[in-house]
Amino acid sequence: MATRGSNRSRLLWISLLVTSLFIITLDLRGVSLLSSLRSGTQSVLAPVERLANNLFSPVGDFFSEVSNLGRSKAKIEKLEEENQELKSQVIFNENTLAQLESLKGVLDLAGKARYKTVSARVISKGATGTFSETIVLDIGSDSGVRRDMTVIAAGGLVGVVKSTTASSSIVLLMNDPSFRIGVRVAGKQDMGILLGQGDKSYSLQMLSATSAISVGDVLLARGSSGDKPFVPGVPVGRISYVENTVGQLTKEGRVNGFVDLNSLSVVSVVLSAVAGDPGDALVPQAPRPAPTVTVFVTPSPTPKE
Amino acid sequence: MEINRLPKVLLIFLSLFLLQEALISQINFLVAGFSLYLAFFMAWIIQDQRNSAVVTGFIAGLILDLSPTLEAPFGLWTLVLTSMSYLLASNVRAALDAELSPLVMLSVAVIASSFALILFLLFGAILGQEVGSASYVIRSISGNALWSALLSPLYIPLAMKLYKVTLTARQR
Repeated sequence: MATRGSNRSRLLWISLLVTSLFIITLDLRGVSLLSSLRSGTQSVLAPVERLANNLFSPVGDFFSEVSNLGRSKAKIEKLEEENQELKSQVIFNENTLAQLESLKGVLDLAGKARYKTVSARVISKGATGTFSETIVLDIGSDSGVRRDMTVIAAGGLVGVVKSTTASSSIVLLMNDPSFRIGVRVAGKQDMGILLGQGDKSYSLQMLSATSAISVGDVLLARGSSGDKPFVPGVPVGRISYVENTVGQLTKEGRVNGFVDLNSLSVVSVVLSAVAGDPGDALVPQAPRPAPTVTVFVTPSPTPKE
Repeated sequence: MEINRLPKVLLIFLSLFLLQEALISQINFLVAGFSLYLAFFMAWIIQDQRNSAVVTGFIAGLILDLSPTLEAPFGLWTLVLTSMSYLLASNVRAALDAELSPLVMLSVAVIASSFALILFLLFGAILGQEVGSASYVIRSISGNALWSALLSPLYIPLAMKLYKVTLTARQR
């Protein structure tokens, strides 16, 4: 009996495995039903994510309600309530100020390059533990966002729009392992490919062995045909390490991105690059050293006796 | 699996998926991320019978494949979770005592979810997916294991209670 039972479950397992392999094959062959299932899920999830973001963003609002439970004295309750309200107001203000600051930065960047952009709030990150680096934005095709549009933040490149629904869009971040972008070194014409590695630093492969790259060089997006998926000139990162191995066909290196992808709150989607390639106009300015005050002391002559 | 258990199982895993996608994803975990869905799934499967475990694995995998932020092909999580459920229900469960202690469930949830992530990466690599740097993979898997262990007092009792709710009177 036990053998028959285990045979039956093995048969069930094998048939379900074959079914999943069949589904994978269908997906890899581009059956649209499966991709529309995912975008349908996104349409359902977007309002829930927006709600969750509103709840979690000003954390003080949430905890202020909990902290007042079980208090007996009315006065303490009132004062604590006021205190919590003020605290959440401060947190809310700080949150809004930070968002305003990022919005100002990204609009400055877009203005310099004369990109036509639409700004968006990050309402969710991609599913954790699935080895894909994504964020969800609160705007979609209703605001003109389409697949393969460049997404930027105040520092530079963030990623590219992967899919959209009417009111939300999913952005593939530039640190995703499947992310690739053609880059050029600012001030030179050397080109290379930047690869996402899943963490904060990126891998750089130059296209030529004679490329003269050095630590500190700034990389800009090379741009794609029709500006999709990448508009030209967006700052991508700064070279932090150059590999000097004898016999290498091309030069390789490591790059630090300009944008902290873990703390994104406001980003902009580039709808079009009005003025074409901005060249090196968007290269971030190196911080100016603070002027040093030098004081010259002249010894006063000692009085003669 | 008895057919009247199916809607309850489906509802539980759909709710969990929603929770994972809308809430857990908002949290910035200190080291990598935490997949509540995976950890809960492992704690559930270890209690289940072989046949129903395989069907539950298939359903849970299909639900996880719906995640719009996934880069992997549709069906990859179905393949991984169906395989994991068979492995857990037929090989691991048989080696354990009839009465599962919380410590055993914690160990199973942590080890099995890490193993599921490795399987997901391996199958993904075979299908041509990019894997990322070694440090990224190690950080992601160890981070998930850490949070699965730390947050086990929250999801293991929940998995035990909800599993009992789905059982029919005869199965109890």
